[in-house]
Amino acid sequence: MNPSDKILVIGSGIAGMEASLMLSKAGKKVYLVERLPLIGGNVIKTGESFPNMDCSTCLVAPIQQLILQDKNITVLTVSKVEKVIGKAGNFGVSLTKKARYVNIAACLGCGMCYPVCPVSQPNFWEQGLVEKKAIYVECAGSLPNVPVIDPSLCLRLNGSEECNLCAETCIFGAIDFSEKDELLEENFAAIIVATGFSTLDARIIKNLGYGKFAGVYTAYEIERLLASNGPTEGVIKMRDGERIPEKIAIIHCAGRKEVGYCSNVCCSYPSRYAHFLTEKVPGVKIFDIYGDLCFPDKAYQKLNYETRKEKAEYLFSADLEKLEISEESDKLKIKYPDAGNQHKELLVDMAILAVAITPPAGLEDLTELLEIERDKYGFVKAETGSVNTTRDGIYVAGCATGPRDIQSSVLQSEAAVGQILRFLQD
Amino acid sequence: MSDKIGIYVCECGPNISGRVDIDRIIAEISNLEEFSDKELIVKPHKLLCSVGGKAFLEEEIKNNELTHLVCAACSPRDHDTTFINVCKKTQLNPYMYTIVNIREQCAWIIPDKEKATDKAIQYIRGGIDRVLYQEPLFEKQLESNPDVLIIGGGMAGLTAALVLAGKSRNVYLIEKTSILGGKAALFSEFLPHQSDIADLKNKIKEVENNQYIRIFRNTELEKIVGFLGNFEIVLKQNQTGDTTDLLAGAVILANGYELMDARELDNFKYTDADNVFTGLEIEEMLTSQGKITLRSGEKPRSAALIHCVGRKEAGYCSQVCCNYLLKTAGYLLKQVPGIEIIDLHQDLCQPHTEDQAYFESFKEKGMQFCRVQEVALDGNKIEYVNMAGEKKEIAPDMVIIAPAMKATASNEALSALTSIDLHETGFFQEAHIKINPVSTKTDGIFIAGASRGPCDISEAMIQAQAAGGKILTQLIPGEKIIPEVKVSEILEAYCTGCKTCLDVCAYGAIYFDNERGISVVNEAICRGCGNCVGSCPSGALRSRHFTNLQLYQQVKEALR
Ligand SMILES: Cc1cc2nc3c(=O)[nH]c(=O)nc-3n(C[C@H](O)[C@H](O)[C@H](O)COP(=O)(O)OP(=O)(O)OC[C@H]3O[C@@H](n4cnc5c(N)ncnc54)[C@H](O)[C@@H]3O)c2cc1C
Ligand SMILES: Cc1cc2nc3c(=O)[nH]c(=O)nc-3n(C[C@H](O)[C@H](O)[C@H](O)COP(=O)(O)OP(=O)(O)OC[C@H]3O[C@@H](n4cnc5c(N)ncnc54)[C@H](O)[C@@H]3O)c2cc1C
Ligand code: SF4
Ligand code: SF4
Ligand code: SF4
Ligand code: SF4
Ligand code: SF4
Repeated sequence: MNPSDKILVIGSGIAGMEASLMLSKAGKKVYLVERLPLIGGNVIKTGESFPNMDCSTCLVAPIQQLILQDKNITVLTVSKVEKVIGKAGNFGVSLTKKARYVNIAACLGCGMCYPVCPVSQPNFWEQGLVEKKAIYVECAGSLPNVPVIDPSLCLRLNGSEECNLCAETCIFGAIDFSEKDELLEENFAAIIVATGFSTLDARIIKNLGYGKFAGVYTAYEIERLLASNGPTEGVIKMRDGERIPEKIAIIHCAGRKEVGYCSNVCCSYPSRYAHFLTEKVPGVKIFDIYGDLCFPDKAYQKLNYETRKEKAEYLFSADLEKLEISEESDKLKIKYPDAGNQHKELLVDMAILAVAITPPAGLEDLTELLEIERDKYGFVKAETGSVNTTRDGIYVAGCATGPRDIQSSVLQSEAAVGQILRFLQD
Repeated sequence: MSDKIGIYVCECGPNISGRVDIDRIIAEISNLEEFSDKELIVKPHKLLCSVGGKAFLEEEIKNNELTHLVCAACSPRDHDTTFINVCKKTQLNPYMYTIVNIREQCAWIIPDKEKATDKAIQYIRGGIDRVLYQEPLFEKQLESNPDVLIIGGGMAGLTAALVLAGKSRNVYLIEKTSILGGKAALFSEFLPHQSDIADLKNKIKEVENNQYIRIFRNTELEKIVGFLGNFEIVLKQNQTGDTTDLLAGAVILANGYELMDARELDNFKYTDADNVFTGLEIEEMLTSQGKITLRSGEKPRSAALIHCVGRKEAGYCSQVCCNYLLKTAGYLLKQVPGIEIIDLHQDLCQPHTEDQAYFESFKEKGMQFCRVQEVALDGNKIEYVNMAGEKKEIAPDMVIIAPAMKATASNEALSALTSIDLHETGFFQEAHIKINPVSTKTDGIFIAGASRGPCDISEAMIQAQAAGGKILTQLIPGEKIIPEVKVSEILEAYCTGCKTCLDVCAYGAIYFDNERGISVVNEAICRGCGNCVGSCPSGALRSRHFTNLQLYQQVKEALR
């Protein structure tokens, strides 16, 4: 096939998916490469999404389905870009498609195989709140709805035992221990980097006590506790599995000083937490401790005003960097300078950190291999007002260029498609 | 040709077969009395959606010369398209097939196997009676025009024009004034990280020299009718009143914004004689006279910057004023060394990674930043309340304010002409705020730049490219457009011309035919949502794949 009809999209978050679907609609062939066993990116971790609080699964699942059913789109999960040569119009790309050990075409996603597996490991997709087996899907509703076997932990694949339990359970014969990693070589006219973001390791923020005090949670831990397909099926309970928080503080801008920029979305998603926490935990009191408020869309401020009116008390701190969390019996004590720079204290059961967004793990390697530059914060560098990277034919979209909301991520991916189609037309 | 109905029951591995009695379903459905005059072919399959299952289905449809098909399987969300695609490979019209969900709606939710089986049988009977009343529907293909009309020659409009114009696509760019560039044409500088776009003049030249872009200056939209691929457009020259007729396949609304008049606010009193300026007036002053001065011509020795003017009243943050006020402070610091500047803000909105460092550089330059709860202005006298609740008064030589960016009157006019919606803030409403941000509810009409909401130039440009991207994927030169098949229609004999349906249709798909005195559905625009059907008091509206008869038969049979 002519490389001018083929585009490589790296990362299957909302940005990568939207770009892939549009390119397919324009008659292009797309390879969508995702390093995880599931597509969808970070949006599917959040049960709902602001500003209109629609259910993220309902928003994204139809898009995921379209992607998986699209004949023009080849989805490569558990895959990695290894090497890129050539130039705009004809890049030669080597990819490894790692073995899944489960035949995607044969597996029905019935879920019978994982309960029988004897090996457990922490599920980091679920923020380590639960365990998963050596054969697993990250969460209920993962798409493709097909498990994957971790070869380093599977007793059979790592050579420690002759285990065959999952294969014996699967009546569809979908387990295939003989699957091998595959090296693919393809040519592409253009590349879109849509590798999204990670969040700052909250333990780095010394004064907030994450990792030390059980009552301190990161935003994504709360997302998963709120989600109906999460570890508690949407029931809000503290780590001991019993206590129900009566007072919750949401700490804005956690790690902003450490990273040196505003993360763009963490003023808005706490509104969502207030909305759903007050609904799920009757009588709960919510405090938002903030320094600045940033609402980068015409609809976001209203959401904030409504939250403050009914659901949460907003406490302004003149110097959020001085906020400190400590433990006092089974409560957390939050000390912070208030609006007049006076020392204030607040006792709560739970503190939620709106942790800064950072470049995704592995972006450094990927940008080196693609020979594109990063900005001083480590995100992919884009021209102003554009989605062009520093190398012709390689475009960037979504949080890979810096923190942004879903809307702005989608805008960039649509712009990247615009640039690619423009480029291919000439 | 006599009816030959194929009914295939999927076991979905153990998912369905484990919880309903497949054998009983097959036996009972095969011997239904009410369908004894029809030929029924009833068969189970292990996994209909698998490669083997689809091949099996295809063979069955072809070999048995089926006229109707019922798949009793899972949710249509999962596999409706799968089976439709199988039909498309055969002689069977895909609208002569229906799916019955016996997994999510029976097997998975009813613990008692016998009851689940009973319900599955009821549902399948309903499906059979529905499919018998279905009619074949056929896709239409419409010619489409790839050209694009862009309204507004600001950064958004210019950027979109350059993405779209090319050998096989003309762009018509209309601009209400005589100059291109929009607000950006007034700016002496952009933000420091925007060095790439500093060359606005070149961009304008590029647009002017592009042979595929036709520019209409001093021109506005007079009339537009049609749909994606086929819009008939009339333009009007403001000065001469001359009109031009055009055809285009898509339209981008990029007509920008204006600033709120702060004097409309209760707590902002000043006149043209006072040394109070909006950010835009400062930019204008700098462009026209090359320096910033007081009205007397003297240099200001002190200045105050007031953020968020009218933000509360407007209901949103304007996103760019925090940054441009800093840019203005930069002009002042450069021109009047030693000038004292105080910055009065409620919040600092710094949504881009570069913004915080930019802000911090001004702190280092000795600018004073003060967060306030309230600000009032009377001439150049400012009264404010800081966060600690203390009231203060200052009277700097110059006051520079950042009034909220707001939608212009053009938004209302264009919304009336195109029938796209306005957001409660007056900006254009996107089709979906998150996942479809530059489309509108009307296919073929797109929005970009500050007329869809406050944004800086970088974002306006990204939105323009996004709208360009959408159009490049939807309007491919030479390719025909296939509109929705399952549309609604109005039965002439029943329509009394009450026009109820005209208001109900969110897509503007229904028009009134004055000659015949009835309403008519434009099938190229109708999305088949069915809203109008329920609204018609005379029963004149009919939704093609969801007729009352089809639904009635299905429900009646399911409840039998
Ligand atoms: C706590 C939290 C709550 C939020 N809530 C909202 C909300 O309510 N509303 C809203 O609009 N926005 C919200 N956001 C922002 C939203 O999550 C992002 O805008 C969105 O996820 C960005 O999509 P993306 O496609 O750019 O990146 P991602 O969603 O991060 O997807 C990137 C994908 O790329 C993959 N990937 C990464 N590196 C590689 C590689 N080297 N090779 C292959 N694949 C790779 C990743 O595994 C991932 O699947 C929230 C953010 C956070 C942190
Ligand atoms: C003081 C100030 C300083 C700023 N500084 C910066 C900066 O440094 N960097 C930055 O990124 N952003 C800055 N901005 C924001 C910037 O002005 C906007 O982001 C940008 O102008 C938006 O571009 P646009 O094309 O959407 O709209 P506009 O610039 O408003 O252009 C719209 C165009 O459409 C035309 N038009 C309007 N109605 C019609 C109609 N009915 N028919 C035909 N044509 C019509 C108008 O005449 C105009 O030419 C600043 C804003 C202000 C107020
Ligand atoms: S591998 Fe087999 S048992 Fe496991 S989910 Fe897939 S079909 Fe079910
Ligand atoms: S073979 Fe591996 S994955 Fe399967 S059950 Fe055993 S340990 Fe688990
Ligand atoms: S951008 Fe800054 S000045 Fe403008 S409304 Fe938002 S917070 Fe206020
Ligand atoms: S079905 Fe929906 S889109 Fe079609 S005419 Fe009726 S209301 Fe309009
Ligand atoms: S609502 Fe019914 S009767 Fe009234 S105009 Fe529409 S189709 Fe005709």
